[in-house]
Amino acid sequence: MKCPPFDYHRATGVDDAVAALGAAGDEGKILAGGQSLVPVLALRLARPAVLVDVNRIPGLAGLEVRDGVLHAGALVRHLALAGQGLHPLAAEAARWIGHTAIRSRGTLAGSLAHADPAAELPAVLRACDGAVQVAGPSGTRRVRADDLFLGALQSALDDTEMITGVELPVPDAWGFAELARRHGDFAVVSVAAARFGDRVRIVVGGVAGVPHLVDAGDLATVDGELSADRVAILAAAAADDVDPATDLHGSAGYRRALTEQMTLRALADLAGQPRPVREPA
Amino acid sequence: MDHTPAAGTSVRRKEDARLLTGRGRFVSDLALPRMRHVAFVRSPVAHGRITGIDTAEALEVEGVSAVFTGEHPAIGPVALRAQSALPGYVETDQPPLARGKVRFAGEAVAAVVADDRYLAEDGAEAVVVDYEPLTPTVCAWAEPTDPVHDPVHEQAPDNLLLSRTFRAGDVDAALAGAHVVVDRELTTNRHGGNPIECRAGVARYEAADRKLTFLSGTQVPWIVRTQLAELLDLPEGNIRVIAPDVGGGFGVKAVLYPEDVALCLMAMAMPGTALKWVEDRVEHLLAATHARDHRYVLRAGFAADGELLAVQADVWCNAGAYSVYPWTAGIEPLMAGGLLTGPYKLADYRCTVRGVATNTSPSGPYRGVARPSTVFAMEALMDSGARALAMDPIALRRRNLILPADIPYRMPSRLVDDSGAYEACLDQAIATFDLERWRAEQTRRRVEGGRPLGIGVGLYNELTGLGRAASAGPRMAFRTGHDACTVRINPDGAVTVFSGVTSQGQGLETTMAQVVADALGVAYEAVEVRIGDTDQSLWGFGAFSSRQAVIGGGAAHLAGEHVRGKALALAAALREAPVEDLDLRGGQVYMAGQEKPIISLAEVAKVAYLQSDRLPEGFEPGLEGTKFYDPIRGAFAAGAQIAALEFDPATGEIGILDWVCVEDAGRIVHPVIVDGQIAGSIAQGIGGAMYEHLVYDDAGNLATGTLLDYLMPTAGEIPELRIGHVSTPAANPTGVRGVGEGGTLAPNAVVAGALADALGVEIDDLPVTPARVWELMHP
Repeated sequence: MKCPPFDYHRATGVDDAVAALGAAGDEGKILAGGQSLVPVLALRLARPAVLVDVNRIPGLAGLEVRDGVLHAGALVRHLALAGQGLHPLAAEAARWIGHTAIRSRGTLAGSLAHADPAAELPAVLRACDGAVQVAGPSGTRRVRADDLFLGALQSALDDTEMITGVELPVPDAWGFAELARRHGDFAVVSVAAARFGDRVRIVVGGVAGVPHLVDAGDLATVDGELSADRVAILAAAAADDVDPATDLHGSAGYRRALTEQMTLRALADLAGQPRPVREPA
Repeated sequence: MDHTPAAGTSVRRKEDARLLTGRGRFVSDLALPRMRHVAFVRSPVAHGRITGIDTAEALEVEGVSAVFTGEHPAIGPVALRAQSALPGYVETDQPPLARGKVRFAGEAVAAVVADDRYLAEDGAEAVVVDYEPLTPTVCAWAEPTDPVHDPVHEQAPDNLLLSRTFRAGDVDAALAGAHVVVDRELTTNRHGGNPIECRAGVARYEAADRKLTFLSGTQVPWIVRTQLAELLDLPEGNIRVIAPDVGGGFGVKAVLYPEDVALCLMAMAMPGTALKWVEDRVEHLLAATHARDHRYVLRAGFAADGELLAVQADVWCNAGAYSVYPWTAGIEPLMAGGLLTGPYKLADYRCTVRGVATNTSPSGPYRGVARPSTVFAMEALMDSGARALAMDPIALRRRNLILPADIPYRMPSRLVDDSGAYEACLDQAIATFDLERWRAEQTRRRVEGGRPLGIGVGLYNELTGLGRAASAGPRMAFRTGHDACTVRINPDGAVTVFSGVTSQGQGLETTMAQVVADALGVAYEAVEVRIGDTDQSLWGFGAFSSRQAVIGGGAAHLAGEHVRGKALALAAALREAPVEDLDLRGGQVYMAGQEKPIISLAEVAKVAYLQSDRLPEGFEPGLEGTKFYDPIRGAFAAGAQIAALEFDPATGEIGILDWVCVEDAGRIVHPVIVDGQIAGSIAQGIGGAMYEHLVYDDAGNLATGTLLDYLMPTAGEIPELRIGHVSTPAANPTGVRGVGEGGTLAPNAVVAGALADALGVEIDDLPVTPARVWELMHP
């Protein structure tokens, strides 16, 4: 479990990083928090020729809300995201990531670029219909969440591109629920729910190759208060809409049931209702 | 001066100053001049013939100095052969590096020596091995009609490395006369030890004087020395094994591994060069010993009043690819058959145990050896019996417990139980737990709704400190009943203890210092303890079978008393006082009836070492002594755990609401260490019952190869544990009973029992996971 050899480039700015990635062709990899990359290197499952360290690039750790959208720099650490009050859904989701040591290093853009379908932040980006700002050899572009995730650990980013910023619209109401085997584990199933005006977006993590945006059709349009009945209907719709696989940690049927339960919890939070759990009195 | 005994109080641990400030000295930290690093090439196939190994490219890798294979002249002649004269045991060989064929995925096939571990792994990648696949066997209890296509070892064409039947009384007659007969078929999940420090070793050989030094994170340095002497053909005195600070062991480091032997053989082929191998987590999960992959087919008969009349059992233990060295493939099956009946009285017993070779990592000792599985099995029988008899499950257990009046109780496996504290543990556990309150809550939820709640119980006996009459590893070439301890008073009156115990974090330096301080009559602070070095201490078999407090502690006590006698004799002669009137307390010698000491131990020591002119007639210089101790049988430690768990029908989530454990650790030397052992072992047991599961696919690939999939419990998963004690001193010099493993024995039974109790179902396999719970609630 030791990394194979690689060259190391400490980028001084975004242009420098993009140039270094461009020079490496498809052999370069960005080192940000390293929380996913370094284990993969240690297992020799990835063999980049060059690691481009973006941690010292100034100006990429900002957090501000403009016009109802949280603009976050690429290097915002999970700990900072968890601690901010500008975007409470992102804050809540970030608290579910790993442990303190992981959260203090891992970055927002790193998590999105890694595109783990069970990770929290990709689900939040999609639930909020957010987007990423990307810099590459031919300039900058903006990639919407719905276009960013192509499959498990596959994003629409080119090997020579880097995320420089993240746009997270701040929802009017939100909810987040997750079930993991242990504290800090990747979700077996997670649900991020966000309400913008009369539309409710529900995204399920852990049930597909990408964070799954539930297609609830007209049910997702809600006038006024989200009733407990509608919560139940939407949760059932979410369970119907996912097509999970069976693995070591649970069957497809189990994941489908968890989708319903986590959606119930997330929407209850969103609607300001008590979570539908049968607690002992 | 305060002369409070050190034992019984939670004195500050001797080792904590270095361990808690990051100054521990672990093999992993060790750096020697010109040291080189080893990486092993491991088989990607579970079973296959090796048709070629090409090392040429690896030798071209920068920094690589050597590549060894199983056919290398330095390696080739050597094989590890776990020996036992037990009938029904088939001896097989394990090569240090695979020869001819590989028998499990992860087996070491070659070793690369390089300037650092990175380069060694670069070299290992460049070694090209060709395999011709053979049919793998993964499951140890395939239907008997399945032919064994390619046996793991040709000496065992049916893959059976060991079988033995334990027999007592007449099971068939007893079953025929039973009021109810219950049947259970159970399987338990496969675990790994996973100490925080994986295996590690540094070997260095000096050709001029044929001396080998092996620094190893082993639990058993003296066994390692003896076995290495035989395998390497060196005089035993030429080998020094040192176990410095070791970061956990749990049994997996009580094994001499092929990698250890390969490292030493390579060091001998490269004299003067220290070779270091530090196992990483992937290697550990893949190739350190596994455990608990068992199947139990059980039948039990009960009388109408609940008396257990008969147990008939067939047990299969997955022994893995090799008979673990030096313990043999019998380690789990023999323990399973010997202790299946646990704390329950039984006359009619028939149990056939089997150790079956498969193409998986070898099974070896792991905290609790087999008994987390057997306690699960026995308690499942108790719960089934209670259901069949419509009897309270705890009342049924009570009806059958070995009681103080039955002691010494000869178990049907002929082991002799000296405890009888089971009911005392159970009573205290039930009282602490407040069983009535939890039963009321359970009923309330059943009536009013709410998450189903279940109560699980596990009663167990931990056989600790095995003496020569019940030695670990029946019919092996050595008997593990004794340890030695040397107590030396230094010229300044301070005490150095050379003990044969080893420590993997459980504070043995502290425990030994407490015992010696009290036996000798000095302050705890005046005692320093040296452990883990075969050139310093005389002898110790090491850490396994919860033996060290009993046996090493016994030796420490005897050696302390012996030297105390010597010191008092010298003091008496120096002060012309009758020795029977003298007492040594707090490092001072007192005469009966006098408040002030007549001489200090330091003064006595000064005479003994430095002032031979003052030595009375008949006294030799020096002040030290060595004693061995063997408890002959051993000490059974009773335990009871009871817990309340709730299960979420919507998600399968499992909540542990309360967990109580009461154990009989005999006389307690260090209360915090003892509670730490119990808490840690329960946590490990909960891990095994709810999280940890090594899964192989049908081709023999390990599907849980990292800690992302092999889930270890963290502090976040373990509830507050309420630990209590009943203390019935054992018949050994310090009155202690071993405490290292007991906690692991019950959680399988408790968790499965609670789920069964909550849902009214039978739980036949483990682990109990949320997905599993959900499936049970949504059939």
